[in-house]
Amino acid sequence: MTVTLAIFLFFAALAIVSAVLVVLQKNAMRSVLYLAFTVLAIAGVFFCLQAEYLGAIQILVYGGGIVVLYVFVIVIANLKEAVPERRKLFPKIFIVAMPALLAAEIALAVFKSRPAAAAGPEGGLELGALAEALMTTYLLPFEIASILLLAVLIGAVIIARRRSLHDSR
Amino acid sequence: MIPVNLVLGLGLLIFSIGLVGVLVRKNLIIMLMSLELLLNGVNIILAGLGCHFKSPRGSVFALFVIVMAVSEAAVGFALVLSYFRQKQRADADELNELKG
Amino acid sequence: MFAWIPVFPLVGVLLNGLLGIKYFSKRAVSTVAVGAVGLSFAASVASFVRLLGSTEPVVVKAYFTWIPASLVRVFGGRLQSLAIDFSFRYDSLAAVMTLVVTGVGLLIHIYSVGYMARDRGYARFFAYLNLFTFAMLILVLGANLAVMFIGWEGVGLCSYLLIGFWFSKDTAANAGKKAFITNRVGDFGFILGIGLLVSALGTVDIGEIAAGIGGGLLGRGTATAAALLLFLGATGKSAQIPLYTWLPDAMEGPTPVSALIHAATMVTAGVYMVARMHVLYSFSGTALDVVALVGALTAVYAATMGFVQNDIKRVLAYSTISQIGYMFIGLGVGAYSAGIFHLMTHAFFKSLLFLAAGSVIHALSGEQDMRKMGGLKARLPVTYPVFMAGALAIAGVPGLAGFFSKDEILAAAFASGHYAVWVLGLAGAGMTSFYIFRLIFLTFYGRERAEPEARHHLHESPRIMTAPLQVLALLAIVGGYAGLPHVLGGRNWFAAFLRSSTGISDHPLAASAEIMLMLFSAGVSLAGIWAAYVVYVKKEGLPAERLAARFKAVYRLVSRKYFIDEIYDRVAVRGTLALGRLSAWFDARIIDGLVDGSGWLVRKFSSASMAFDEAVVDGAVNGIGRAHRAVSRGLRRLQTGYVYNYALAIVIGLVILVSLAVTIF
Repeated sequence: MTVTLAIFLFFAALAIVSAVLVVLQKNAMRSVLYLAFTVLAIAGVFFCLQAEYLGAIQILVYGGGIVVLYVFVIVIANLKEAVPERRKLFPKIFIVAMPALLAAEIALAVFKSRPAAAAGPEGGLELGALAEALMTTYLLPFEIASILLLAVLIGAVIIARRRSLHDSR
Repeated sequence: MIPVNLVLGLGLLIFSIGLVGVLVRKNLIIMLMSLELLLNGVNIILAGLGCHFKSPRGSVFALFVIVMAVSEAAVGFALVLSYFRQKQRADADELNELKG
Repeated sequence: MFAWIPVFPLVGVLLNGLLGIKYFSKRAVSTVAVGAVGLSFAASVASFVRLLGSTEPVVVKAYFTWIPASLVRVFGGRLQSLAIDFSFRYDSLAAVMTLVVTGVGLLIHIYSVGYMARDRGYARFFAYLNLFTFAMLILVLGANLAVMFIGWEGVGLCSYLLIGFWFSKDTAANAGKKAFITNRVGDFGFILGIGLLVSALGTVDIGEIAAGIGGGLLGRGTATAAALLLFLGATGKSAQIPLYTWLPDAMEGPTPVSALIHAATMVTAGVYMVARMHVLYSFSGTALDVVALVGALTAVYAATMGFVQNDIKRVLAYSTISQIGYMFIGLGVGAYSAGIFHLMTHAFFKSLLFLAAGSVIHALSGEQDMRKMGGLKARLPVTYPVFMAGALAIAGVPGLAGFFSKDEILAAAFASGHYAVWVLGLAGAGMTSFYIFRLIFLTFYGRERAEPEARHHLHESPRIMTAPLQVLALLAIVGGYAGLPHVLGGRNWFAAFLRSSTGISDHPLAASAEIMLMLFSAGVSLAGIWAAYVVYVKKEGLPAERLAARFKAVYRLVSRKYFIDEIYDRVAVRGTLALGRLSAWFDARIIDGLVDGSGWLVRKFSSASMAFDEAVVDGAVNGIGRAHRAVSRGLRRLQTGYVYNYALAIVIGLVILVSLAVTIF
């Protein structure tokens, strides 16, 4: 066992546990907290996978952006008190079983077939290679992504704005 | 080197947890959070494969996924806020006007 | 030339029938009708004269093809081509017949102008008379049995129309029906006879039939059968046993009709037919004997009725039946020309008697019962002499026409060895003179027994009626001299004339024997007259009454016409009606039952079908609807409206797809 592997395993375990806790919490605020943990753990995983840039973006965007956004929404919408009922037991077991089954099948499928070996030099994992790929081969998606962000920006504002002064909160 | 199977397994696990969360929870906010888990799981797989194949492509795609996650989260929040303003509740089970 | 003879009456019928009834005055009608027959008579005379002067005794002319040629298989297997043409045959026999028909017919037409003067159906009457004349001429001129049959049927129809002329009277209508139906029975035989001849010889032409017989193509049995069948038709038409019953009833018709149709012409059609087919009858000796026997029996039988009838016309009717019997005797013993000779003289004196009787009836304002007549000798000075002339003629008093013709027949019967027939004929002659003078004495002599009303209006008939009577009386007297026998110094021109068409009787008689026979018949007829005189004049009919009282049963039998009519009615008429009722019952019950039954079946079936349709078909259609709804209700439960359910569904789908992928790979 190498050091990388050990760190990886640590972060993986953390991510799994946090994820489970996110799903199981009754309190939305607590879920957000665990989500933060999960995000950070996954960022760590990324670092272990030599995707440093990705990890950094993960922390910045997810941790700094989305989690904070979640907190804000919960506070504004005052959702910590609005805790809906749980569902009945039987459907829940079925509902859990389904994704489990799916996962098992995918695992089966993946592990049965050997993942193909690297098909030749792909450019490496350095930041420079990443930047080059992003700016040349995947330029179009890059630009579209920025347009998408713009659209989302405008759209979200439109959807969430107050229709009139009589709208509460 | 990290065995790629392990990474894939991790990603798959996170993905499943997120899926369960989306299906089980009634609270809209928590549903959305589970959705984020789904996407994260996918990102793990992408990163792992990128590492395995020594290719920047995994990271590039993961980047795009993050962009989309952000967009979807923003719009989702806007919708939830708007809905909450009307109904004072964020219960998924009440969104049953498609019942037929 | 002879083709013109029937044309004029035809024109007369068309004019009077189509236009006359509505538009013509009485004068116009009578002019057309009498003119037509007159022209026809002129044509007959012209043809006769031409025949006398020509070298060919027989002329046959075809006018158009009626039934085109077709192949007929005859007895013996041969194939014969049979075509029926509408053709006429003119020879001495046709000449005699056309002259008699048109000549006597003309006189009767003239008489009718006066007799029917006050009748409402004036135009209709003359149309019918002309139609009858036309049909009768077709009959006698026909060159083949088919054309003859047209005329045969035609006169039967006219007889019906004229007997039932006053159809509003039930008795008249029934008499017309009786005549026609009885005739029909005879016609049935006639048609069968024609058919038999066609099957045997493949022809209907008279000349060809004669040739065929001469050539030995016809078997004797077949010939006899055909001859007898044809003779059956003759008995119907000529009122012989067994089909005579219609003639007495036919007196319901107007008197001119009785004179023309039932004395001079139609009833002689049967006699003419046998004479025409003499080759056939001579060939089959049996048939000829049957003819003679039937004639003789009828002659005597009918004469007995003349003794007890009280209606003046009925006496004459039975007399006609009896006299036609004589004609058939003549034919039956092979003396065809004698039979035709008697036909001619009978036409003269019988129509005279009928018309004169009509004059008497007219004078008495319609009285026909002789018991209510009497003493009219002085009151009807014109009618009485002519009536007497006719009576003398029919009685066979020497010197008048009847004597010569009747005597020739009796002589032929004796000469050919038919002694039984001769005896019967002689007896009949005596009876004839008795009953006819009974009639004369009852009508013209003795007390006036007429009703006071009638006596008051008693008047002689107008000239237009008496003139034809006088002409006929003349003919009745002198007509016989055409056949004056050799033995009395004449050369029997009549028989010689007819030789070409009817052959000659080949039974010579010694002159002495003939004179003896003549004396016999003369004596018999005079005896009859004397007996009648004694009974009805001297003793005022008392012996007759006493006899009638003494032999009540016999009297009743004879006066009721031997109950033949009643027998026929029971057997034939009621039998046929019963058969008709049986058929009607069968039709109503069984056939209608079948039809109704099938109708009922159809109805039941259709209601079952409808039930099936409702239950099964509609059930299936509705069932589909119901099933559909159930399925939709079930499927609707998937649409919960909950998003998470839909998400779950997606996941489940994904699971399934992946399972598939995994298992396949």
